[in-house]
Amino acid sequence: MPTTVQPNRKERRDAARRERVEREAARAAATARRRRLARLGAVLAGAALVVAVLVVVSGSGSGTKPAARTAASGPVAGARETSALLAGIPQHGLTLGRPKAPVRVVEFADLQCPFCRDYSTGVLPRLVRTYVRPGKVRMEFRSLHFIGPDSERAARVAQAAGRQDKLWNVLDLAYRNQGKENSGWATDALLRRLAGAVPGLDVGRVFAARDSAAVTAELRAADRLATTSGVQSTPTFLVGRGSSLKAVDAAGLPAAIEAAVGR
Amino acid sequence: MSARLRTAAIACCALGLAIAGYLAYVHYAGISPVCEIAHGCEKVQSSRWSAVAGVPVALLGLLGYAGILAALLVRGETALTAAAGQALVGAGFSAYLTYREVFTLHAICIWCVISAALMATLAVLTVVRLLRADAPPARRATARTPAPGAAPRAGR
Repeated sequence: MPTTVQPNRKERRDAARRERVEREAARAAATARRRRLARLGAVLAGAALVVAVLVVVSGSGSGTKPAARTAASGPVAGARETSALLAGIPQHGLTLGRPKAPVRVVEFADLQCPFCRDYSTGVLPRLVRTYVRPGKVRMEFRSLHFIGPDSERAARVAQAAGRQDKLWNVLDLAYRNQGKENSGWATDALLRRLAGAVPGLDVGRVFAARDSAAVTAELRAADRLATTSGVQSTPTFLVGRGSSLKAVDAAGLPAAIEAAVGR
Repeated sequence: MSARLRTAAIACCALGLAIAGYLAYVHYAGISPVCEIAHGCEKVQSSRWSAVAGVPVALLGLLGYAGILAALLVRGETALTAAAGQALVGAGFSAYLTYREVFTLHAICIWCVISAALMATLAVLTVVRLLRADAPPARRATARTPAPGAAPRAGR
């Protein structure tokens, strides 16, 4: 008959000690778990607060990009994109695209206007690729300059570049380097650099022509056309075939072009 | 495991520093970033969300990666917490900027997306490190348990 071995006193003491150590370990583990979770919670809360502040501050910008983006020397921001967008597309004065393209788009814009910039950098490239480059649409630019002196300075240089059939290159670069409204961003130095970034453009001739009577007359003609067309804001577009043109804003332009092309 | 997490986090920081450094450089040089994949870098980099209170986001990213790296190179609980906190801020703000890219600007800056992914990875790595910072108490207790035959200490 088997006999039950009773633990001696030392074994009982060891067992009790092991049990106590395990209890202490479990308690310590629970404390550590709580501590880690509390630390993580504090870090998450702090991070969320900082992110919220960053989001609020970043969203409160003016929506314009300071001209300081283009440094005083070195390459011009966007020069490569502008060249890639317009390379090989015919330009004649104010017009971009095949002169006999069936659909005509007349744009009224101010080079200081942030909405015009958003259109130019966000919507125009797709329109150029889809309609202008294939020869379906020709675009004309009518330069308004009502926001302030920077508008006129930039408009005169763009208009003068048009006399060398490079108006659209200067427009695109001016929008890509647009500064805060009436901050004095359109300096001669900046405009000279923008013009200098246009392949094939004679910068000296541009600056010689910008204050000419011819450029002044073109700007006045743009103002008159805007008035007679009932332009109330920029950018505004006239879209259509022949003399039948319909006024639309930037949001309605793609659909209006599509409708005119498909007619 | 902790060493491997730290090494992986340091590698992410190094990559992030390179990307943010490049974007900060092109910002101050006034040139366009190389953007051959998604072609939206110029638009994103010139948007209103490219700066916070006048400070370029690229520069903030550079400082953020440098701060996380510094915290990773230092021992201690405060450094662990600082690394996780900075990485979480970076990941959260990067997520917001990515949202703006996709839904507001409709343009993707591939460098920014890679940086956002790095920040998200860093957030995971540093949070896991933070949670594992305390050595498991059970093991500590076990290690302190006297070996059989050793003189008992408890009850003295």
